[in-house]
Amino acid sequence: MKKDFLILICFLTSVVGLILIYIAAINLEPKQIELKDVTSELVGRSVLTSGKIVYKKTHAAGHLFLTISDEDTKIQIPLFAGFMNTLKEVGLTENDFEIGLKISVSGLVDEYQGQLQIIPRRDGDIKILND
Amino acid sequence: MILETVLLVFIGIAIGVFAGLIPGIHVNTTIPLIMSLSFLLPTPYYLAVLVISVAVTEMFIDYIPSIFLGAPEADTSLSVLPGHRLLLEGRGHEAIKLTILGGIGSLLVSLIFIALLANSFQYLYEVTRPYVQYLIFGVMIFMFITEKNLKKMLSSILILSMTGIFGILVLNSYLVPAQEVLFPSLTGLFGLSTLIVSIFERSSIPKQKEDSRMLISKKEIVKSLILASIAGIVVGFLPAVGISEAGTMVQYLGGSGESRSFLITISGINVANDVFSLVSLFLVGNPRSGASVAIQGILGELMFFDVVFLIGVVMLTAGVASFLTSYLGKIIPKYLEKMNYKVLTISVIIFITCLVLFLTGPFGLLIVFTSTSLGLLCSFLEIRRSHCMGILLIPSLLFFTGLNEVVFSVLGI
Repeated sequence: MKKDFLILICFLTSVVGLILIYIAAINLEPKQIELKDVTSELVGRSVLTSGKIVYKKTHAAGHLFLTISDEDTKIQIPLFAGFMNTLKEVGLTENDFEIGLKISVSGLVDEYQGQLQIIPRRDGDIKILND
Repeated sequence: MILETVLLVFIGIAIGVFAGLIPGIHVNTTIPLIMSLSFLLPTPYYLAVLVISVAVTEMFIDYIPSIFLGAPEADTSLSVLPGHRLLLEGRGHEAIKLTILGGIGSLLVSLIFIALLANSFQYLYEVTRPYVQYLIFGVMIFMFITEKNLKKMLSSILILSMTGIFGILVLNSYLVPAQEVLFPSLTGLFGLSTLIVSIFERSSIPKQKEDSRMLISKKEIVKSLILASIAGIVVGFLPAVGISEAGTMVQYLGGSGESRSFLITISGINVANDVFSLVSLFLVGNPRSGASVAIQGILGELMFFDVVFLIGVVMLTAGVASFLTSYLGKIIPKYLEKMNYKVLTISVIIFITCLVLFLTGPFGLLIVFTSTSLGLLCSFLEIRRSHCMGILLIPSLLFFTGLNEVVFSVLGI
């Protein structure tokens, strides 16, 4: 009886914890920073930033690789095939990401072959700011 | 260069001993702190030496708090790590020596395997990668069916599912930085929950026997080391399949169900996996552990000489760390026997909780609260704690099947 009670308590606290984490997860946004402030010290952290598209390359597998820049800093934005499919559902295709457009992007900062990247995950993580 | 390297190895060992003795401090927590000291060192090589020596030392020392601070009473001993079982028999020092044997033995055996198979790794890596999801799924099925009865199988599905949902949420949200999120998650699932069970059981550390001979046959040792080295290398190929899953599989497939063989195997897998992770930086350019990610960040692309040099650092560190672990494993229980175990355990729980709050903030506290509840649930259901690895298995399965985007979309995260 005592063990069953402990199991019930642990189950309920686990469920409550999961619900609270879920509520926090869907409401929390990453920290907004300038593109020049995205450094390797932020690898593994989530940020929100913006910049102009200065380079664009499509991959045969359906990936789209963008590079955004302010005056000095360049950051890669890899949009993988699965994410591109998600964007298509909200009406964005690779043609919408033209060179010169300013976009905002939020996601995880990563480093690939010495180059800093921001990897968006949700459709709302990447927005075109001007036409 | 040699003198400086040896000096840094000893500094790394000192840091590794200190960090390893603190319960709940994973090597992935220590490494970023070490990396922040890079400005003190003149070349990246020195930083790499420091990282490796800290990581390897912690790998050995970590067994001391794991075995000596999670001891429940005999009637629940089947649900906890086999080291506790030996501790309850008064053979805690033997348990520590077995982990050292596993670590050192597997370091040598895995290096032989790696040297023999070096040219095939890139091929094996590319061949296995499209099938990773099937392998992860196979591991999960294997974990269910090896539970003892239907009730436990259903309980294990519940735990795997709940920890899987937990993993999806914490690994894919902005609650805690990605590089720190595993600390509160794994600390609760495997650390705090074990300590809390210990308080429930009113455990005390029994008087330890002076005789610490390893009561295991040479044949069993050789078998455990070979299995551990193979499993450690295989873990390097399978993302999310961790040491404990591999250990569970080896335990059943290889017949190393006995505590002593299991300790050798688990420790051996750990070391073999770390050695392979380092070598895989050179062979396939893909880091497979926290330490190897750091090394890649420090040195970039590794040359053959770099790998040989770093393996030398690993071997020097492992040799010294194994002596220190054995020594500390002998003297620490003598002090613990005299202490009030309950007070000690509560102090450790408070310390870890404060550390989680300091390193990961209030959301880290929420994560550790939830993960501890899940770990306790697993413990009270009397199923293997390795089912809690759903935290990594389920998110990885979703990633490799391409279902992660669908799940994120449904959950709105």
